[in-house]
Amino acid sequence: MKHHSGLVLPNSGHNRDAEASKLGMWLFLFTEFLLFGGLFIVYMVYRMLNPEAFLAASFQLNVTMGSINTIVLLISSMTIAMSITAIQLGNSKKSIQLLMITVAASLVFMVIKYFEWSAKIHHGLFPGMAVFNQLPKGESLFFYLYFFMTGLHALHILIGATFIGVVIHRTKSGRLNAGNYSLTENAGLYWHLVDIIWIYLFPLFYLIH
Amino acid sequence: MKNHSDDHAEKAHETHIVSYKDHFSTLAALLLLTVLTVSISVFGANLRTLTVATAMLIATVKVIVVAYYFMHLKFDKKIYTWLVLIVVVLFASFLILTSIEYLNR
Repeated sequence: MKHHSGLVLPNSGHNRDAEASKLGMWLFLFTEFLLFGGLFIVYMVYRMLNPEAFLAASFQLNVTMGSINTIVLLISSMTIAMSITAIQLGNSKKSIQLLMITVAASLVFMVIKYFEWSAKIHHGLFPGMAVFNQLPKGESLFFYLYFFMTGLHALHILIGATFIGVVIHRTKSGRLNAGNYSLTENAGLYWHLVDIIWIYLFPLFYLIH
Repeated sequence: MKNHSDDHAEKAHETHIVSYKDHFSTLAALLLLTVLTVSISVFGANLRTLTVATAMLIATVKVIVVAYYFMHLKFDKKIYTWLVLIVVVLFASFLILTSIEYLNR
C-alpha cells in the first residue's frame, strides 16, 4: 500500500508535485472568488439604488432555514478539514467516513434549499411567475439576484459533492494515502470556498433587515 | 542517502498536521459567530445600517477564520497568504471604485 503512489520515474524523483497542485487549486479558487465577487458588486449597486425594496423583499426569506444551512455547511467544512488530518495520519478509513459525512451534509443543504425554493415558487416569486411580475422593480431585482446567486452556489455544492465522491473512491482504492493526499486537500480547499461564499450570501440575503 | 533524509526532514518540517481538537475549536468559534450575527439581525432590527455593517464585519471574521485554519493558510508557505491578499485588495478596489461612482451620481 505504501508504495502504491503512482508512477515514479527512475533517477528523476516523483512526477507528482503537491505544492504546484495546491497552487493551481488556489489560482482556480481566485477565479471562482472573482466570479461571485462580480455578482456581489451587482448586488451592492442594485441595493444602493433600491434600499427600501431590498429590505422589504428580504423579509420573504426564511431566516431559520438559512441559519440551519449555515450551520450544516460549517460542520461539513470541519469534517472535510478533519478528513485531511485523518489521511495525513494514515487513517484512510476515518478519512473516508469524514468525507462521507461531508457529502451527507451537502445533501442536507440541498434538501433544505429545495424546500426554500419550493416555498418561493409556490408563492409565485420565481422570475416570470405571476406574483413576481407584479412586484416593484427593486423587489424583483432582489429575487433575480437571490435565485441566480443561491442557484449558482447550489451548483457549486453539487460539483463539490461530486469532487468529494471522487476523493472517497480514490481513497478506497488506495490511490490516495498518507504519502499522496493532494487531491483530498484540493477537494477541501474547494469545499471551504463554497462555504466562504455562503458565509457572505447568508447575511446579504437573509439578515439585512 | 544524505539527500533523501534531508528531503524527508524538510517535508516533515513543512507538513503541519492540525489536530481534530483544533478543528473542533475552529468550528465552535464559527458557530458562536453565526449565533451572534443571527441574533443581532433578529433582535436589532431597528438598527438597520448598523446591523448590515456588523453582519458584513462578522462574515469577514468568519471567512478569515475559515481561510486561516481550515484552509491551512496559517501553516502553508506565506506565498498563499500573499496571493490571497493581492486578490482581496484587487476585489476591494473594484468594490470601492464602483460604490464611489454610484454614490456620486
